[in-house]
Order: sequence, then C-alpha cells, then structure tokens
Amino acid sequence: MTDHLVAAEHEDWRLFLRKASANRSFQAGAIITLFIVIMAAVSLVWTPYDVSKLTIPDRLQGPSWAHWFGTDHFGRDIFSMIMEGSRNSIAVALIAVGIGIVIGVPIGCWAAAKRGWIDEVFMRTSDIIFAFPALLSAVMITAIFGPGAVNAIVAIGIFNIPVFARVARGAALSLWPREFILAARAAGKGPARITAEHILPNIANLLLVQGTIQFSLGILAEAGLSYVGLGAQPPATSWGRMLAEAQTMMAIAPQMAIAPGIAIIVTVLGLNLLGDGLRDLLDPKLRRER
Amino acid sequence: MTAPILTIEKLDLAIGGAPILRSVDMVVEAGKVHALVGESGSGKSMTALTTMQLLPHGANTTGTLRFGDEDLLTASEERMCALRGDDIGMVFQEPMTALNPVKTIGEQVAEGIRWHTGTNRPDAEQRAAIMLKRVGLPTTRFPLDRYPHELSGGQRQRVVIAIACALRPKLLIADEPTTALDVVLQAQILDLLRELVAEDGMGLVLISHDLGVVAGMADDITILRHGVVQEAGHAVDVLRRQTHPYTRQLAEASAHVPQWDGRAKPPEITALLDVQNLVKDYPGPRTGLFSRGAPFRAVDDVSFSVPPGRSVGLVGQSGCGKSTLARIVLALDKPTSGIVSFDGMETSRLDDHDPTMALARREMQVVFQDPYGSFNPRQTVERLVAEPLHLEEAPLSKSERRERIAFALDEVGMPADAMRRYPHEFSGGQRQRLAIARAIITRPKLVVCDEPVSALDVSIRAQILDLFAKLNDELGLAYLFITHDLTVARAITHEVMVMDHGRIVERGATADVLDNPQTEAAQRLVAAAPDLNRAIERRAKDTSGISSPFEARKHPSS
Amino acid sequence: MLAYAARRLLIVLVTLLVASVIVFFVLEIVPGDPARLMLGLNATEDAVRALREQMGLNEPVLTRYISWLVGMARGDFGESLTYSVPVTELIADRVVVSLPLALLALGLSTAIAIPVGIFTAARRGTRADTAAMAGTQLGIAIPNFWFALLLVYVFAVTLQWVPAGGFPGWDEGLWPGLRALILPAIALALPQAAILARVARSALLETLAEDYIRTARAKGLPANIVLWRHALRNAMIPVLTILGLQFAFLLAGTIIIENVFFLPGLGQLVFQAINQRDLIVVEGVVVLLVGTVVIVNFLVDLAYAWADPRLRRR
Repeated sequence: MTDHLVAAEHEDWRLFLRKASANRSFQAGAIITLFIVIMAAVSLVWTPYDVSKLTIPDRLQGPSWAHWFGTDHFGRDIFSMIMEGSRNSIAVALIAVGIGIVIGVPIGCWAAAKRGWIDEVFMRTSDIIFAFPALLSAVMITAIFGPGAVNAIVAIGIFNIPVFARVARGAALSLWPREFILAARAAGKGPARITAEHILPNIANLLLVQGTIQFSLGILAEAGLSYVGLGAQPPATSWGRMLAEAQTMMAIAPQMAIAPGIAIIVTVLGLNLLGDGLRDLLDPKLRRER
Repeated sequence: MTAPILTIEKLDLAIGGAPILRSVDMVVEAGKVHALVGESGSGKSMTALTTMQLLPHGANTTGTLRFGDEDLLTASEERMCALRGDDIGMVFQEPMTALNPVKTIGEQVAEGIRWHTGTNRPDAEQRAAIMLKRVGLPTTRFPLDRYPHELSGGQRQRVVIAIACALRPKLLIADEPTTALDVVLQAQILDLLRELVAEDGMGLVLISHDLGVVAGMADDITILRHGVVQEAGHAVDVLRRQTHPYTRQLAEASAHVPQWDGRAKPPEITALLDVQNLVKDYPGPRTGLFSRGAPFRAVDDVSFSVPPGRSVGLVGQSGCGKSTLARIVLALDKPTSGIVSFDGMETSRLDDHDPTMALARREMQVVFQDPYGSFNPRQTVERLVAEPLHLEEAPLSKSERRERIAFALDEVGMPADAMRRYPHEFSGGQRQRLAIARAIITRPKLVVCDEPVSALDVSIRAQILDLFAKLNDELGLAYLFITHDLTVARAITHEVMVMDHGRIVERGATADVLDNPQTEAAQRLVAAAPDLNRAIERRAKDTSGISSPFEARKHPSS
Repeated sequence: MLAYAARRLLIVLVTLLVASVIVFFVLEIVPGDPARLMLGLNATEDAVRALREQMGLNEPVLTRYISWLVGMARGDFGESLTYSVPVTELIADRVVVSLPLALLALGLSTAIAIPVGIFTAARRGTRADTAAMAGTQLGIAIPNFWFALLLVYVFAVTLQWVPAGGFPGWDEGLWPGLRALILPAIALALPQAAILARVARSALLETLAEDYIRTARAKGLPANIVLWRHALRNAMIPVLTILGLQFAFLLAGTIIIENVFFLPGLGQLVFQAINQRDLIVVEGVVVLLVGTVVIVNFLVDLAYAWADPRLRRR
C-alpha cells in the first residue's frame, strides 16, 4: 500500500516490453497514436489532394475510391483535410502539454519541498487558475488580440500548468516523509538535489500518464475552440473548424461532420488507451484495481 | 476436556496456484487460547482468513474446517454472513485503518448487533454502549458519537474488539492484535482479550509472531512455517521443552543477545553528542478562523550526552517524543530551543549550507526502521550505498568510490556484486544490511538507529543485532538506539534512557534500569514487556494442576 | 465545522478578489486603450475621447478598479457599448437559458454516472463491467459539440421529434422551454457522465480494498450491503472533487453547445460581444462565470466536510 508511487519493480526495458506485450490497452493506444502521428508527419510533405485548391464541381461528394471520406462544399477532399488538421491538433495539444510540464512540474516540486506559506500561495493560485476554464481564457485573449491558433495554445497551456503542478506536488508531498528521502537529507543533500535525484525519477511515471491524459484533453479543447472560432483560423485546416463548416451543411451533407468527428474520437481514444496502458504498466498499485 | 469449536484437518490453501498452506491441522477449544505462531509468510493470517471465508479471489482450499459441526469450506456465503460477527469474531492487526473513518464508533459497534439480532437502533446502541464499557471505553468518557480519528490507536483497537465480541461469539480470531501498538498498550489489550475469554468462555485464536506474548497468553500452540505445521501442543510444554528444532530456533532468536566485546567497556568521559535543554513544540490544532490550540510539546527540556563508542538506548511508549528527538539530533528538524552539539560542532545552530554541517553529517549517520521505505527503488545499490559519499571533502575517483562501497558492503556481510542490483531484489534483512552499509560508508562516529529491527522477523533480527555489536567492536561506533522493545535494548545498549511525555525520566546502565526501574514510566514499560523465559517460568508454576491461566490469575498485571 | 466553513469562505472571497484583478488586468490594462480597441482602427479621435470619458478611462487605474468592483458588488456591470443597455440586463436575459442548461446537464450526468459506477464496481471483472467501461472510454473521447450535431441530425432533422434549435423562452410554459434544452443537455451530459462513472468506479474499488471494509465483512454484512453502507460515502470525496471541476467544464461547454442549438444564452452573448469588441460585456460574462465556478467549488468543499468528519476539525 505504501508503495503506490514508487514502483516496487524497477523498469528494466525487457521487463517493460514483456508486460507491454500482455497489455491490450497499451498496444491499441500505442498503435493508434503512432498512426495519427505518422499521418500528421506525412501531411507535411504529401496529401492526396491539395486542400488549398477549391474545385467547386466536385463539391459535396459522398465517399468514393477517389475521395475516401467524400468532399466538402468547396469540393476539397475531406481525407486530405483530416490529414492536414491532425497537424494542428497535435501541435496545439503537444505545446500546451509542454507548457504545463515545463512550468507546472518545477512549481509543484518546489511547493512540495518548501511547504509552508509558499505551498499555500501555490495552492490558492492554482485554485484561481482552475476557476478559468480554457474556454474562458480563450474568450478573454481573443477579445483583446483577435482570434488565432496561438490563443488556443496559451489558453489550454495556462490551464495545464496547475494540473501538472498539482500532480507533481501531490506525488512529491507523499514522497518527502519517506525514509529514503530522510536518509538523503541526513546525508546532507539539499532540496534541489533531492528533488532531482529522488523525487523526479519517482514521479516521472505519474507525469507521463498525466501527460497523455492532458494531451487527449488538449485535442478535445482545441477542437472545441476552433469550432467556435477561437482557435485555428482560415486558411489553416483544423478538425474543429471542419465541424463548424459541416454544421451549416448538416441538412444536405451530414457526411461532412462524420469524418472530423471520428478523427477526434479515434485520436482521443488512442491517447486515453495509451495512458491507461502506461499507468497499468508503470504503477503496480493501480494495476490491482482493474 | 471441552468440545472443540474449530477443527481444521488437512487444510490446503493455494492462491493463484501458489501453495500457501499445506495440510494444516489445528483444534481450538472453547474457553481456551490457541496461539498460531510463525514468521512472515508462514500462512498464519491466511489460516484466519480461511476460517472467516474472506480469502482473496483466486484462492482454492481443500480439506476440512469444521466450526462446531459445520464444514465452513462448503458453507454458503449466506450462511457465512450469519456466522461472521455473530458466532465468529475477528480482530485485525492495524487499528488505525480497521475502522470506517466516516462512521461513529457507536454506529460501527451497533451495526453488527442490529444486523444479526434485528433489534431496533436504540436497543442496539444500548448494547453497543455496554460492550464499549466492557472493553474499557465507557460512554461517560467516550460517547457513542465519537469518530475513530478522535481516538488513539489503543482505543481504536478496543473498538474493533468491541465489534468482534459484541454478540459473544463462540470463536474470536485475533490476527496480530497488538503488533501495531507499543508494549504498554499491548499488555492492556492482551489483558482485555484474556478477560473476555474468561468471562464469555469463547475460544481465542491468537495469531502472533512474538513468542513472549504467546507464552504469557496461550493454552495451546501451533507453530507454522512456510504453510506447514512444525509443532503443536500444549503451549507451556512446547515452549519450555523446545524439542522441535524450529521452535528452539525461534525461542533462541527472540531472546538473542549478541556476542559483544564492547559490552563491558568502560565509558569515556568526553561527550561525542551533547544535548542540552532541548525543546520542540509543534503548533496546536486549528480551533477557530485564526486561532490555534496550545502548541504540543513533543520534546520537553531534554539533556543528555553520548560518549564516543557508547551505545545508548532510548526507550518509551509510542508518541513519547523519541523519534522527534532523533530527527533533531540528526538535524533534520530544528529545535524550538536548546542546543545539540556533536563532536564540538553546534549542529542545532548551523544551517544546511554550512561546510561545518557537511562535516557533522559525515560523522553522524542514520538507520531507519522500514527496510522497504529506506531506499529509492530506482537506484542501484551502488548509488544508494554511496549516497553520503558526496560529503567527503575531496571528490573520489570512480574506482575509489567502488572500493569504498565494496568495503562497506563487505563489513555488513554483503557481497560486492550486490552493487549492480536494485533494492527490491533483496530480503528485508538484507536491505537492513544495505541501510547499515550506507550509514557506515563515511566512517561516522555516531549512528542514530530508529527502530532498526522492529520490522524484522526474530531470526533476522538476531543477525542484525549481531552486526550492530560487531560494528561497535570493530569501528568503535556510538549508537543512539531508539526502540520500544526492551529485549533489543538489553541486547545492544550500554545505557538506556526512558522517555515519557517528551521528557527523559530515567537514565542508567541498561541492566540496572531494566531490572530495577525507579520511575513510574520505566516500571510501566518493564512490567508490560513480554518476556519469553519469565512468562514460561510463571506459567509453569501456575499450570501445575490448573488447565487455564485465567482462573489462576484473577487480576492480570495492568 | 463553522470554523472550517468560515475559513473556506475567506479563501473564496480572496480567490474572487484575485480573479477580479486578473480579469480587470487582462481586459482593461493589457489592451492599452480599451476605448480604441472597442471602436476599431477607423474611429475618430473625438469618438475615442468621448468613449474614454464615458468609460472613465481617464481616472487612475486603482480608482477605476475599485469603482468597477463596487459597481459589480451592487450588481452593476456597466453598460454595453453595442446595445446601450446595462450589461446586468443582458446577462440576466441569457442566464435563464444557460444556467438551467448547465444544471440539467449536471443532474443528468450524475444520475447516469453514479449508478453506472456503483454497478460496475460491484460487478467488477464481469462482462457487463467490461462493456460499460469500454462505453465510458468511448464517451470520454466524444467531443460534446460533435455529439450535439449528431443528435440534431438524428432527432431534429431526421425524426423531427424536437426542434433543431432556438429557444421559445420560459413565458410559453415550462415544457416548451425544457424541450428545447433536452438535446443540448444530453450532449453536454454524456461525455461528463462517462468521466464521472469511471471516477466513481475506481474510487469505489479503492475504498473496497480498505481495511475497514474487511472489518465490516467480519461483522457478517454481505458484500453488497458493505458497498452501500461503508464504501459509498468514503468514495464520495474523489467523486465530489470531479463533480466540482465538471461544473466549470459544463459551464464552458454550455457556451459551445449553445452555438450548435442557436440558444440565446451566455455563449451567444459572449461571441457576439467578441465580434463587436464589446469588452464590457465580455468582462461581465467572464466575471459571472468565474464567480460561479468559485462558489460551486466552495459548496463542494462544504460537501467534503459533510462526507468526511475528519475534515470538520480543520
């Protein structure tokens, strides 16, 4: 029970792979995630059709061999747009997670190491940030600076900071009273060194799992923001914007809404499965619950 | 000879295919205490859970387990629910977590009564109040609407016993009921169990690893090892004769006194560690919006010194402040007032960045209780044993480091190739050796040991005590040895200090204090400490002609 | 208990104060000259000057902040630039759509999630459990506005059971209003219910592994009774935490969903305000939503103390 943060087993790579080969959730998640990432990478150099070119005669076609997911009201190939859009989703969510980790984790570790009023101030600050859901931040930012993809990144990223800080703090707090930390202190190591040598390696798993969760939430949030026009702007393609356009065509071309929706679901599902799988693989205590 | 309440025959248990119990036989009689003894992993707790039919998923049992005339192994879950809490009660090891934190103690005791008898709430609560009074928690001082977190560990264990005994069960199973408590509370809880058995005439299965406890309590005994019964019979006979080699091994280990040349060494006059008028206050609980209750004084005006090479024990009940004192000595905590000086350096005034502090830390190391929590599980033994080496003034070369680590490992009886492995690959005793290797690698003058053997099985404990004695002889290490176990204090200390409510109330040569305690606190500790040989002697006298110890001893020591 | 509540209330007030500073800073200081931003690049100097005067921008920052704060405390959020009516009035008109929608969604999500959580925890490892957990995994991945589009297509466009959008107002009676909110509430609630069900399940399973559950079983209580009497209340804490967080997401989600259903709620108001650069309206809506989130979290804190007697002392 006491070891829920600190894996009793050490993660030897071979051991990890052996356990991974028995974990369906991890496999499915990893394959889906890999697929999406490859799709985004390929779209940098090649898409089946040029999405910036409008070919009105081809508009609103259903799925066919030529256009796997059909075409939109400007005759653009929806599959190509999905490929383009994946880049935007991944970039926004990934950078937002990065902001959360790079700023949040040090703050959380620091609050846990110092305790006292620093910790209190940190907790209250994160309460305040939690009162601004990403959408509200995006609304404020857009009201001032006008719409753009950067708004989405900043808004989601700001929200991610206290998320990672709290996860890091909570985990670090439960490690600090442990005897191996006391022993390190008795050996004369300072808070920064203990955090680097003992705390971070032991909370890395937890942060990795939280990272995949925030990544998937970021994809959902970005789609929502783009959908209401607070995220990516034309001519950039994004899944959320595709859905916004599909909405106006709902009565005559419902298929336009299907593909981007499925793309979002599959991506988020893949990341969540990956996160669950990782958590099971890395954390012996949580595995027991399943 | 009374009729057996519980008869276990040829009981086999496997969980997930791994064998836990092999052909276990055991008979428990009414009004008797049957001790089930073994080291960790012997399967003693699993025997209890089998009887309760509360085994984890994937458990597979064969054999017979008769309660009265019923075979519990084949009983329906419905039937088991009717038996549990009514005819069979159970008390668990960890009182701090055994009670539901969101329900009052009254609710929790009354719940079983209501469930089994179908009586209404007021009646059940009245019966609960009576039962709580029997276990020493009268409603005048402990109203029924108290929550578990408002009670101490000993009091919580009394509530758990009240739950188990509320309906006067025929059989009570107590699984290490006192292991999480200090010796004084342990003696009180054992007395309570004894009284309940005598008054209600139930059979008690007492599961324990402690032969001292068992010798004072049990009529019959079954000794388990790796799921196999080693020896069974009349408790006093078995423990007195010690014919079975394993029984003898356990008995010897539990009273083990290491070969220790330094035992007779006269003390030096100089002080290595000198503590003067040390006080530590913790802020009181929040009582209002901005107000706090009176601060809690964990350490109250403590002064003492430890000469070089001397082993000084610090004993006391849990919560007496001994661990807080250790943390301040180790400069892990700042004292509220007072002075700690170590080898002429006033560590209580230094902060962590002071170079003098590094020097002090190099000379003063620590060994903790928990051999599982003492190591970062992600570091190799090499890194973790080397942890204090960064305190060395001159940085060591890689080969010098390796040499030092190998040397330290050798001193604690571990092979040098342990270096490349991870802590989880070692047993509890081996880990404690690694913890000691880490403590001695900088050649310190003082090692503070906070309950370093209390989590270990008796045979391992004996080996670790030998190691402490050897290191004192060879390296001239001084120890500040914190323990709640007087047998351990007797085995490894020159002097002992008794701590009570934050104060050191008595100090003297170990044998003097433990054989002839002067203060009330010390007398309480000594009286409560279980001691195998004394218990056997006393019981051997009592049992001549009388079958049960309860009739002979109307008022057990309290 | 009272001291606990008072302490929490104090924290709420401080949080609100700091949040108001943030909103004020972002919307009134960062733009430099809000009047110019609101009027756009083509505005004449005179118009900007007049608006500055009207908004009181010539006053020192601290005076502006305090009078803004005092105004809000009295329910005065200023006057909208585009509509020339008090923002309070605009918001009041829209809250009667958004708030019922959020509450309906919260109720729906709880009503679905808690039973599913209990059911799956009690029958863990069975096929029903596995199927339900796969369902929640999918539910979490579905964006609510996409689900809303789907619902509109199926129930409004194809089956024509409910209106595809718009809101008749509460004057027509309760039912027409509710009818217009059903689909949006379902769209909002289902993904949240999926998350909540998973949290409830894992909280229950964690609680069921506690020592006191074994004590209760040793009393003779059957497994399902133990679940109800002993595990449920202890598992409430993580569930309440998520519930509090979800309210914030539901409010935010409301803003998006209103777009799908053309509901005249706060979402529509705020997007129009953004397009028209009506900062005062944006400010009012943001303050209102942030305030609501903070107060809901205060209520969650009080619920903690109800669920766990250990907290009452702190």
